[in-house]
Amino acid sequence: MAHPAMTPLERFAAYARGEAIDRLPCVPIIGNTAARVTGVKVSAFRGNGRTIADAQIASYRRFGYDVVRVFTDLYTLAEAMGATVHYPEDETAYLEAPAITSVEEIERLRPVNPLRDGYLPRHLEAMGRVVEAVGNEVPVTGAVTCPFTTASFLIGTENLVRLTIRNPEAVHQLCRVALESAIRYAEAIIAAGCTPSLTDPMSSSTVIGPRQFREFSQPYLKRLIEYIHLSGKAATLHICGKTEKIWEAMADAGADCISIDNAASLTAAKRSVGHRVRIMGNVTPSEVMLQGTPADVRRAVRSCVAEAWDSPRGYIVASGCSLPTETPFANIQAMMDSVAEIGWPVDIQEVSLLPEGEGGRRPDEGAAVPSGFSPAPSP
Amino acid sequence: MADKEQAEYFKELSDAVLDMDEERTVTAAQDALDNSIDPYEAIQNGLSDGMARAGQLFEDEEYFIPELLMCSDAMYAGLDVLKPHLKATGESRGTVVIGVIEGDTHDIGKNMVRIMFETGGFHVIDLGRDVPPQRFVDTARESKADIIALSTLMTTTMDGMGTVVKLLNESDLRAGVKVMVGGGPISPGFAKRIGADGYAVNAAEAVKVARELVARDAVGAA
Repeated sequence: MAHPAMTPLERFAAYARGEAIDRLPCVPIIGNTAARVTGVKVSAFRGNGRTIADAQIASYRRFGYDVVRVFTDLYTLAEAMGATVHYPEDETAYLEAPAITSVEEIERLRPVNPLRDGYLPRHLEAMGRVVEAVGNEVPVTGAVTCPFTTASFLIGTENLVRLTIRNPEAVHQLCRVALESAIRYAEAIIAAGCTPSLTDPMSSSTVIGPRQFREFSQPYLKRLIEYIHLSGKAATLHICGKTEKIWEAMADAGADCISIDNAASLTAAKRSVGHRVRIMGNVTPSEVMLQGTPADVRRAVRSCVAEAWDSPRGYIVASGCSLPTETPFANIQAMMDSVAEIGWPVDIQEVSLLPEGEGGRRPDEGAAVPSGFSPAPSP
Repeated sequence: MADKEQAEYFKELSDAVLDMDEERTVTAAQDALDNSIDPYEAIQNGLSDGMARAGQLFEDEEYFIPELLMCSDAMYAGLDVLKPHLKATGESRGTVVIGVIEGDTHDIGKNMVRIMFETGGFHVIDLGRDVPPQRFVDTARESKADIIALSTLMTTTMDGMGTVVKLLNESDLRAGVKVMVGGGPISPGFAKRIGADGYAVNAAEAVKVARELVARDAVGAA
C-alpha cells in the first residue's frame, strides 16, 4: 500500500492526479442507517441538526468511508415548499400529500428561503457541524433533490407524469420553481462548506422515457450543475433504476460523476460514458447489503471492481442507492474491508480469480485489462 | 350487423387506447354500441387489447409510465361507455386483492398493476396503500379471492410481504389463495424465500403471472 493512512480527501486528490492510492474510494451511501450508529430513533433526526450531525460523524468515524452525505429523505425541499411529509417513529419519512393538486395552483408555489423554510435550516446546521468535525479529512456533501423529482412531490407523481403529455408547459413551470429552490439550497450548502450532492430518482427511465428526460429534466439539471460548477464544486448525480439510455444526457447535463444502481450495468456505463464522467455504484442495497451475508457483500464488491476499476475517469465503489436503515454493520464493514483487501493498484487477475458476485456482470462482459492504465484527472 | 366488420370496431378501440386518445376511445366505444357490437367483446378485444399492446411497448421500453397512464385513462373512458351495457354475467378470470404494504405510500406501480389486471379480465379489489398485512387476508376471505398481489417500493416494508404469507399459512385459506409480489426491491429469490407463489418484474408481466397461477390452480383442482 502506498499510504496506509490516507484520508479520504488525500485519497481523492491522489486518485484525481493519477498517483498511487492505498485503495479505491468506497462509499456505502449512509442515510438513516446513521441513526443505528448512535442509537437514536430515525424520527430524532426530524428538525434536529445536531442529532443528524452527531450520527453522520459517528458513522463516518466507525466505517471510514470516503464521502459523508447529510441526507435523511428526499422531501426536504418539497416540504419547505408546502408538501406534507409523514415521519414514522423509527423509519424513513415519506410523502403524505403533495403541496398542490391542480395546475391552477402552480402560481402559488414560491422558491424556498433555505435559511427559513421547513427543515432546511436544520439540515444546513447539520452540514456545518459535520464539516467542522471532519471536513478536514473527508468530503462532506448535502443532498439536493433535483427539479423534476421535487416537481413530482409538489403536484403528485401521477399528476406530473400525465402532465408531461397533457400539459408540458405546466411541467416546465413546476420544474422552474423547483430549480430555483434547488439553486438557492445549493448556494446555502456551499456556504456551509459542503458540496451539493444531486439525487433525481423520478428522472429514471423506470419512470419517464429518455425523450421526456431530455425535455423535462435535463435542462434543469444542467442549470443546477452549471451553478454548482460556478462555485468551483464538482457535481455527483444519482439516478436510480434504469438509466442506460440517459447516461449520455446525464453527462451532457454536466455531471462530473454519475451514481447508478444495480438496475444498470457498470461495464456498459464504463464503455458508454466512462471517458466523460466518473462512475460510482452499484452494490445492490436490498438483496446484498440488507439481506446478504458479509461474504455476499465481498463477492458483489469484487464483481463491481472487476467491472469498473479501469473506467477512464475513475471509479468509486458504492452502494447502488442509499442503504436501507437496517443494513447490518457487518455488511457495511465487509464492503470497506473488501475494497481495502483489493487494494491498489487493482490486480485484476487476482480479483477475477475470486468468486463471481451478483454485481450484474454478464459472462460475455469479462473485464478487459488495458495496458498503461492510469486514472484520468477528474474535476 | 353493421356496415363495418366487427374486427374493425375492435381495432379502432384498441388503436385509440394505444394512441392515448381519450376522446377517440369514447367515440369508438359509442360507435361500437350503436352498431350492436357486444360490449363484453368490445372491452376484451378492443380496450384490453389496446392496453395489452401498450403493456408490450412498455416492456420494450418504447412506452414509459406517462404513456401507460394516458393509455389507461383512455381505456377507462371507453370502459365508462361500455360497462353500463354489459350483461350482468360478465365472465371473470378470478378475483385479485391488491395493495401496497403498510409503511409504504408509493402506489404508482400498484396502480399500473391494477389497471393491467382489470383489463386482463380480473375482478380487482384495491386496498390502496399503507395496508396492514391482516387486511389482505381478511379481504381475501370476504371476497373469496384467488390471488393476493402485494407491492412495495421500499426495502423497509418488504418484510410485511412475508407477514402476509405467514398469516395466510396460519389461516385455512392458503390452499385457495395464491400470493404474488413485485416492486422495486423485490427479486424472484426474495419471493421464493417468503413463500410467495409468483413474482412479476412489471405490470405487464404481472397479469401473465396471475393467469398462470389461476390456470395452474384449476389444473391442480381438476
